[in-house]
Amino acid sequence: MGESAAVRTLVFIPAWNEEEPIAAVIADVRRHLPAADILVVDDGSTDATAARAREGGVPVASLPFNQGLGAALQTGYLYALREGYDFCAHLDADGQHPAAEVARLLAEVEADRADLVIGSRYHAAAGEAESDDYKPTLSRRIGTSVFRFFLTLATRQRFTDTTSGMRAANRRVMSLFSEHYSPDFAEIESLQLAVREGLRVEEVPVRMLERAGGSSFLTPLRSAFFIFKGVVVLVVGQFRPRHMEAGR
Amino acid sequence: MSTLLLAASAESTTVRLTSQTRILAAILAVAFMLLILELIRRDRMQERYSVIWFVAGLGMLAGAAFPGLLKLVADAMGVRDTNVALFSIVLLLLLGLALNFSVIMSRQAAQITRLAQERAIERAKADQQAAKDGGGSPSGRGSA
Repeated sequence: MGESAAVRTLVFIPAWNEEEPIAAVIADVRRHLPAADILVVDDGSTDATAARAREGGVPVASLPFNQGLGAALQTGYLYALREGYDFCAHLDADGQHPAAEVARLLAEVEADRADLVIGSRYHAAAGEAESDDYKPTLSRRIGTSVFRFFLTLATRQRFTDTTSGMRAANRRVMSLFSEHYSPDFAEIESLQLAVREGLRVEEVPVRMLERAGGSSFLTPLRSAFFIFKGVVVLVVGQFRPRHMEAGR
Repeated sequence: MSTLLLAASAESTTVRLTSQTRILAAILAVAFMLLILELIRRDRMQERYSVIWFVAGLGMLAGAAFPGLLKLVADAMGVRDTNVALFSIVLLLLLGLALNFSVIMSRQAAQITRLAQERAIERAKADQQAAKDGGGSPSGRGSA
């Protein structure tokens, strides 16, 4: 299985009730990242997500009950760390993230230009302008700018896509995230944590696709609560103790 | 109405618990502690979480037996009305307990998550092993 290169890479896909798109996502990763091992983290799905993934010949880490995205992602990082992978990446299971873009993120960490690379759906080069492929809703835009503002304030680093679920990382990030990863506010707090721990976090503009089926779960009230919760998490995060100061 | 209030506030420097209320409070305290005991006996509560409730029950009993204690505490707090002192203390105690439970709950939630993750990883490794052994034929493996 393992290609000639000594470098081992794991691509993991957190999935919760994604039986429809999961097979296509796996195939897409296989096509664009033939050398990488794939792991599906099944977050307590009640449909055939795990079975579909196994049919695709991919090992599945099935959480016995739904634990939330943060716990699912942490499972992937923990697996990558324990199994001795040099690099890992993850992408959403709903088909929004093209595997070809994930390959570009992985190239960044493999070249050691960063410890953690985030795929941003907003073109950083073109300022605040968004890509043509992706048109967010109003509540999403508000949330995005609020999180951007507070995360920039907290990290003194500019992030455009704070909630992106497409990332690539090296072992330094694996060991941090496998121990400290907020179950509630995975995406944003993990960025803050990584920067606070002195890791090099970088954003790379990527192309993302529209959600294939179903609408976003965010109603205005939920969005407001989501944003409020995120701000609380970020403020509290500023007071957390650092863990690996001698890391770099 | 206002005269009644005035009279009450003037009188409240002394503790006014009738023997009836004291007996009732004592019975309640004892019944409460018996309930805790029963919960432990039936394995519905662990001993380590019962200590705080026994302390609360004994406090209730002490308050019923020696009403003067309450007055002492109220004076120490600088509160004229012993009832206000009583309610404040109980409220603070409950707040502290609720907070304590949130802490315990968070710790257990983290433990449950880690347990689930460990189990998930074991399953993934089993999948990988099976793929190596059986050439990747995914037969006979039940879906969760």
